[in-house]
Amino acid sequence: MKNILRIFAVLIFCVHLPLRAADVTVFAAASLSDALEEIAKGYEAKTGDKINYNLAGSNVLARQIEQGAPADIFFSADEAQMDVVAKAGLIDPATRQDLLFNTLVIVAPSDSPLANFTPPDLAKPNIQRIALADPKAVPAGVYAKAYLTKIGLWSTIEGKIVPTANVRAALAAVESSDAEVGIVYKTDAQMSKSARIIYAVPQADGPKITYPIALVKTSTSDAAKKFLAYLESPEARAVFVHDGFMSGAH
Amino acid sequence: MTPFLELRGVAVRLGRFRLEIDAVLSDGWSALFGPSGAGKTTLLEVITGLRRPDAGRIIMNGHMLFDAASKKNVPPRRRGIGYVPQDLALFPHLTVRQNLNYGRPPGDGDEFFTGVLERLEIGSLLAQKPDALSGGEKQRVALARALLARPALLLLDEPLTGLDGPLRERIIPFLQRVRDEFRVPTLYVTHSADEAVALCGRVVVLEAGRMMSEGAVHDLFVPRDSPGWRLRVLS
Amino acid sequence: MASLDWPAIFLSLGGALLAVALNLVPGVGIAWLLARRKWPGKAVVETIVTLPLVMPPVATGLLLLELLGRRGWIGHWLRAVNIDIVFTWKAVVIAMAVMSFPFVVRNARVALEAVSTRVEQVAATLGASSWRVAWTVTLPLARRGIVAGAVMAFARALGEFGATILVAGNIPGSTTVISTSIYNDIMLGHDADADALIAVSIGLAFAAILASELLLRERQS
Repeated sequence: MKNILRIFAVLIFCVHLPLRAADVTVFAAASLSDALEEIAKGYEAKTGDKINYNLAGSNVLARQIEQGAPADIFFSADEAQMDVVAKAGLIDPATRQDLLFNTLVIVAPSDSPLANFTPPDLAKPNIQRIALADPKAVPAGVYAKAYLTKIGLWSTIEGKIVPTANVRAALAAVESSDAEVGIVYKTDAQMSKSARIIYAVPQADGPKITYPIALVKTSTSDAAKKFLAYLESPEARAVFVHDGFMSGAH
Repeated sequence: MTPFLELRGVAVRLGRFRLEIDAVLSDGWSALFGPSGAGKTTLLEVITGLRRPDAGRIIMNGHMLFDAASKKNVPPRRRGIGYVPQDLALFPHLTVRQNLNYGRPPGDGDEFFTGVLERLEIGSLLAQKPDALSGGEKQRVALARALLARPALLLLDEPLTGLDGPLRERIIPFLQRVRDEFRVPTLYVTHSADEAVALCGRVVVLEAGRMMSEGAVHDLFVPRDSPGWRLRVLS
Repeated sequence: MASLDWPAIFLSLGGALLAVALNLVPGVGIAWLLARRKWPGKAVVETIVTLPLVMPPVATGLLLLELLGRRGWIGHWLRAVNIDIVFTWKAVVIAMAVMSFPFVVRNARVALEAVSTRVEQVAATLGASSWRVAWTVTLPLARRGIVAGAVMAFARALGEFGATILVAGNIPGSTTVISTSIYNDIMLGHDADADALIAVSIGLAFAAILASELLLRERQS
């Protein structure tokens, strides 16, 4: 009798081991927030692991990882910031891949009178402020500046730029009408209830906006690897696509 | 001695302390005599208008200063009552000259100014600040400042209390000079019988917020066995 | 070779000076009312004045944004007369003024309460109106505390970050101040530039304290 009880105790103990919840910390670009939160909810319910997000402009996240912040996964909004971290030898290069793609759009408040808008209209006097994520460092802003430079508008409209800390803040500035227009990702615009797209940058014209993902080297947990794999799965992909991202080869 | 200040049914409540006065004070110098806690300072505050009584009337020289019934209350700055509190309250950031000039009516003559300076012997102090003055000098400056505002009534709150004997002896003549030469009706608060007798013609005795007796100074005070005066106990 | 963000330095200095100047009269006035008078709603005003001190600066910034943004309570009136506040230098000054206001009021109040009421009462018996008493007696005697409050307010305004970044943004050359410029340098990895600006802000703090010492010493002699 005593031996049977002992075996039961050990079995129960073993069964419990994998059920003990693990924590995964994901440093992700702000533009991914809504999709990631939805994915995390489903994943946590299924596996019991806890997903912790640190959402900010990718440049800020890169700096934080350089300074030793405890991230398991880095999901950046551009190659440049991922390269920064890669060069410092902080990510596992084998796990790096371009997971998602995005496009730029110009947005205005939902009740804005602007119609038939094209990029040269940005130079008109009725547009006093153009909200962008900081073009010096935040990917969304860097892309926007690259695009405007390519079509020869940057120097004309540079004085009207209101740089914000991240792309969501740029969207907020447009939603509150404190800026007449803003340049954000299509995915952010789709999310917004009080801003609408007045011009979608065609994929051929716009910069190639990729979202690379990679495992941070200091991460030791299996849970992190599992979540990374989950983000690449068809289930997660469906959520991203639903929000307006594009996945797979460009 | 003509009636000058009427306090009719003046009542003030301060927590558990209650002041009730019904008195007529004449012109000339009257002593307000009583132990500490009797309500002397409170009464001065009421007369100057710095404290509002709960009831009663205050009439000075025929002018109504306060009437609880009709809600009339003349503010302190218009009562024309000079007040020298116990701590003198000289303006520490102003020179003696600026202190003296503070309350002078506009266009008031220089003669009066010089006269006050001479009488109180403070002419040499004009450029100094109050903290550079001696105790006696501060007293005289405070007195001069009040006089220069040409008050109709002067209230002095225990001017000599806290001064040592010799200093007191030296200031009493100045006070007598002010009394005799400026002829401003004065209410002189003290708990010293000697001072009351030396300076005042009439006395109001206050105790626990009530007027105990009132009359000519020599009716209320009798000589002590050793030099000095004491209050005659009236049965 | 580190470069200094001169527009940010000038904006910080000018903005902080203007903020303190704007705060001084209302701040001392409110302090006087709190110190010398009883009135209904006094506790509410005391609380509102202290709020910027105890609330997180970004929370205050958010409140200001909602008030002054183009769709804001006050903002939409101003928009009708073509005045824009958010994302301009005006928002910088307003954020600085709001965050430093409590310092002016609290220091002034303490200083005013320390002035003996006896002295004010005697001034009244000498014929002075409430205005004259306040101007010629109370305020001069409360001078030290009021100046101390102004210096503290100036220092607070110079270092203001959270509310400023929300309501004025971080537009280089236009609304970037010393604190946000340092933040930008750090985020971009320009450590030498950040260090240079940090040295400047320490220098300005020292200068402010020195100025207040001189201001107070001169008058006394």
